[in-house]
Amino acid sequence: MSIELPVFYFLAAITIGAALIVVLGRNIVHCAFSLVLAFFGVAGLYVLLDAEFLAAVQVLIYVGGITILLLFAIMLTSRASGPGVRILNEQLGLSALIAGGLFFLLIYALWKGIPALAIKVPTQANVPTIGRVLMTSYVLPFEVASVLLLAALVGALILARKEKD
Amino acid sequence: MFEFIIIMLVKIAVVFGALLLTVAYLTWLERKVIGDIQVRLGPMRVGYHGLLQPIADGLKLLFKEDIIPAEADRTVYLLAPLVAIIPALISFAVIPFGSQVKILGRTIDLYITDVNIGILFIFAVASLGVYGIVLAGWSSNNKYSLLGAMRSSAQMISYELSMGLSIVGVLMMAQSLSLVQIVKAQSVVWFILLQPVGFLIYLICAVAETNRAPFDLPEAETELVAGFHVEYSSMKFALFFLAEYANIVTVSALATTLFLGGWQGPLLPPVAWFLLKVFAFIFLFVWLRATLPRFRYDQLMGFGWKVLLPVSLANILVTGLIMAWR
Amino acid sequence: MEITLPPVDLGAITPELIVTGTALVILLVDLFLPRDRKTPLAYLSLLGLVLAFAASLPLWGRARYAFKESISLDPFSLFFSSLFLLIAALTILISTNYLEREEIHRGEYYALLLFATLGMMLLAKGMDLVVLFLGLETLSISLYTLAGFMRARLRSNESALKYLLLGAFASGFLLYGIAFLYGATGTTNLKKVAVFLGKGAPLSDPFLFIGAGLLIVGFGFKVATVPFHMWAPDVYEGAPTSVTAFMIAGTKAAAFSAFLRIFLYSLAPLKPNWSAVLWVLAVLTMTLGNVVAIAQQNIKRMLAYSSIAHAGYILVAVVAGGELGGSSILFYLLAYALMNLGAFAVVILLGQKGEENLNLPDYAGVGYRHPLPALAMAIFMFSLAGIPPTAGFMGKFYVFSAAVKAGYIGLAIIGVLNSVVSVFFYLRVTVMMYMREPRAEVGPIYTSPALAAALVIAVWGTLQLGLFPGRLLELALRSIRPLLG
Repeated sequence: MSIELPVFYFLAAITIGAALIVVLGRNIVHCAFSLVLAFFGVAGLYVLLDAEFLAAVQVLIYVGGITILLLFAIMLTSRASGPGVRILNEQLGLSALIAGGLFFLLIYALWKGIPALAIKVPTQANVPTIGRVLMTSYVLPFEVASVLLLAALVGALILARKEKD
Repeated sequence: MFEFIIIMLVKIAVVFGALLLTVAYLTWLERKVIGDIQVRLGPMRVGYHGLLQPIADGLKLLFKEDIIPAEADRTVYLLAPLVAIIPALISFAVIPFGSQVKILGRTIDLYITDVNIGILFIFAVASLGVYGIVLAGWSSNNKYSLLGAMRSSAQMISYELSMGLSIVGVLMMAQSLSLVQIVKAQSVVWFILLQPVGFLIYLICAVAETNRAPFDLPEAETELVAGFHVEYSSMKFALFFLAEYANIVTVSALATTLFLGGWQGPLLPPVAWFLLKVFAFIFLFVWLRATLPRFRYDQLMGFGWKVLLPVSLANILVTGLIMAWR
Repeated sequence: MEITLPPVDLGAITPELIVTGTALVILLVDLFLPRDRKTPLAYLSLLGLVLAFAASLPLWGRARYAFKESISLDPFSLFFSSLFLLIAALTILISTNYLEREEIHRGEYYALLLFATLGMMLLAKGMDLVVLFLGLETLSISLYTLAGFMRARLRSNESALKYLLLGAFASGFLLYGIAFLYGATGTTNLKKVAVFLGKGAPLSDPFLFIGAGLLIVGFGFKVATVPFHMWAPDVYEGAPTSVTAFMIAGTKAAAFSAFLRIFLYSLAPLKPNWSAVLWVLAVLTMTLGNVVAIAQQNIKRMLAYSSIAHAGYILVAVVAGGELGGSSILFYLLAYALMNLGAFAVVILLGQKGEENLNLPDYAGVGYRHPLPALAMAIFMFSLAGIPPTAGFMGKFYVFSAAVKAGYIGLAIIGVLNSVVSVFFYLRVTVMMYMREPRAEVGPIYTSPALAAALVIAVWGTLQLGLFPGRLLELALRSIRPLLG
């Protein structure tokens, strides 16, 4: 048994545990902090898969950027960060049923499907490879993503900026 | 394998020992330099020219009463200083402070590790620093703390962008994300000469990222009575203090690596060159604090988003054009 | 480290470049225009759309791939691109007046509309799941904002928020589906997926099924099929009316274009499996949409449920498949876009400031007070109900006959029954307009040449397709053929 297996279980446990707190936690700020932990777990898993670039980007963007903005929004809306906010609604049973069903479906698919995977795992260093395919094979999606971000930026400005009059 | 682990542990111990010592004596240095600029003596009592002052301060902080506010969120309150200090220290794992030395017949690399995404690692880790501040500010349950924390995180997020973009030019020229490779790429000419704009932006952002004057709004004493760590005392306060200074050392070391050719230089041994350059940056930090007044908040945000960000983007564009043209 | 760039075939994406460029120019020009004079931007965007259309004409010549096979220039994608450009142009024609009335006339509206159009065009052209996803997101992000464009109105905020939350949720499903499909086939390129599956790879791979299932859920959300339709009525009702028109006509067509390319082309070998699922979805969607529409008093809400029902009819054609089914979808989507945009143009025309005058009783006696718009509305309602000689009738005729020819007689019968039900609520509008006494006096209506032009185009198109459907049907057949191989 290699050392990777226990490390994987450890990281997976952190990710899932933290994710559970995110969903079930009573204090929304604690939830946000658990989200950070969950992202970290995922980043760790990426490292384990030799995808350091993805791991670094995961931390940089999700932990360093997105969650901070989330926290910002929470702290600015003081009522939401109070302890009395309900986290579950009446449709608990139904959604649990559907989510559970989807969960088992996915488990089944992974159980049956992983041995038959057709993906080839790349062996080269991944940073230069990622850079190269972004600029060659995927140059169009790469540029489209920039337009997408611009549209998002314009949208955010419209919804957030103050009217002058 | 065993030998490898031993060498690794020794390297880690040496680097972090040196780092903590530097950080402790930074406080002394800062007080002395500022004292000199303001034509006073600074600490003189403890030891020769106050040389033992940091140790006395450390002991004092250690023995102070540790207060946790009654309404604070205990877990988070205790966690926050740790979250602040760990990223500050861990960045040093990938900074190369020399090339190689031969000790007892073994060639030893003078860095803890060389990851091929080194610079991204540092940025990822550095982006965590803000959590210490946010956690501290929120968990203290004090409105000044919260305000300080919000200001700080807004500031750090804003300047992190420009900081990241400012070094893209360097990465394009070095064609690597590994810090060792970046240093080696500067063996002929330092990147400060090829990337002057990038360097300036990096420098400004570095000051802002470390919450130092003139960007020290998060702890502005006059408005926020010290901001996010107003409720902290004793060793927990000391950890925040250490984190701030450790961050200064980190950004200085990074500036040295990215723009000043790292350990390279004539005559002197590489490590000495490295320390010398880092020290120059640290001195600059202190100098800035002693001479510049604080920004106003709207000026800070306006400057970050409307000046630094466009300029750093333009810098990337120009770098790309020149590289394509040559 | 040398990187050899692949040939960048900018010629293949000229229409997209023009649309994007126009959006950027609009954002810049907007800065120099005073707040109350944004109309030039509408003309600018119209110009961009026309140019983009002109630029797409030479591409019809020969089918080819570009950008390492990540986009496809076949008649199918060009048909849809042209359709989207038409929809965007009509939307802009009906927008200006409305935006001014509601005091939300801002330059970004046009830029976002063009970004959304770009997203739709990529959905039609994308040959790679990555491109498709990015196109869909570009479309969706722009629409989230446009739905909330009336910031002062709570309904509009609600609309944007609901659309954002459920849209993001749907995107999650879609991405998950793409990931599974990638796992099963080892590629995100739709052509390679088709080749992989065509080689007789093990079709029982659970990854494939889960992937296809998740894609159906994701696209189901985007086109609002039951049971993934919950968001649609609230979003369509709350969004600014012009945006609702764009969403109902455009998003549906765009999502279907990508859906068709994935399911009729790449996943064709799996058809026996997915068509059963779509059969159920089609029946549910048609029935729920029509039955609930009966109870609606708000005209926007009624049209929202009607759009759900129409998604059901289109699903019938997807289930039928083949050349007939495929071409009937293309025909239907164009007819559907024309009659919906026309109907919304009338809704805008008769509406009053503050999104007033949108309930069914408000239409009482309109036939006498405003005969021409009322006549147009009657034509659109006939068309939506599927009464000859309109485009809607021909569309439904082709769809149901394709279903019958493919052997789905039960499905066709359910569809026809649904159409009969729908006649009730569509004709109720007409009855209201012509056979009821006008209510108390309402304010004057504001018209503009642009709005009138849009109405004329929509009426002309609806009748033209209803009376002489042959040429378009032939074009649709020609467009769908390469997809079916």
